[in-house]
Amino acid sequence: MRDNAILVVIARFLIPLVMLFGLYVQFHGEYSPGGGFQAGVLFAAAWILFVLIYGLETGLRVIPAGVIYWLACVGVLLYCFVGLLGVILGGRFLDFYPLLDSPHTAQQAGIILVEFGVGVTVAAVVMLIFMQFARRRALCEKAGITFDDGTDA
Amino acid sequence: MNILSLFNYWAVIGLMMIGYYCVIVRGNMVKKIIGLGIFQTSVFILFISAGKVLGGSTPILRDGVEIYSNPLPHVLILTAIVVGVATTAVGLALAVRVQEAFGSIDDDALDRHATEDEA
Repeated sequence: MRDNAILVVIARFLIPLVMLFGLYVQFHGEYSPGGGFQAGVLFAAAWILFVLIYGLETGLRVIPAGVIYWLACVGVLLYCFVGLLGVILGGRFLDFYPLLDSPHTAQQAGIILVEFGVGVTVAAVVMLIFMQFARRRALCEKAGITFDDGTDA
Repeated sequence: MNILSLFNYWAVIGLMMIGYYCVIVRGNMVKKIIGLGIFQTSVFILFISAGKVLGGSTPILRDGVEIYSNPLPHVLILTAIVVGVATTAVGLALAVRVQEAFGSIDDDALDRHATEDEA
């Protein structure tokens, strides 16, 4: 689809806006509707739009597959780490008050970190689901597996 | 309380019936999954509407706000949305495998395939 000028121009215009809106939803999530889940999906949607226009290989040059797997784990670990940090500093699991001196700042910092972990994991997992579907055919052909998919019949 | 004040619920009924129609009438598995998604959305709207308290604000503790909307349906639906994404992914993966094994994801074509195998 790289040859279609309208698609390319519109996508190049839209992708930064989608990403910016994703970041807005991410960091405004503590006061208004939003948060890690929605922001992660928005961010992944921007990447999927990029892949639809430029192809999966270009998309994987932006974020290699290994990095996506890695990010999916890092997000969960960040969530658990912030949760356990509260336990180590003398509170309960996911208790943010012991993190910093000011309770208000501690609550905000904790929720932002936790939501950031959620956002990273959700974005990475949505990208992974899309990637596995998109490259399945190519991987099977490379491995020499052919299917009765009705195209040759 | 007139008929328009229940607009959310009319939208729920409409979306639910559209989704149901897609699931039972279309033979194409991908279209069935799309129908399932529309059906799910109607259930989400039903729950969120039920949790809204008129004049209530977002359930965040702050000064000058007395009435809050019920946050429980929101949490339930957030979980349901995530589960919906997962079930859609599993359904699509199954459709891919069916396509690879039988060369079609259409119910009628698969029926013909099965009867040919029996014969």
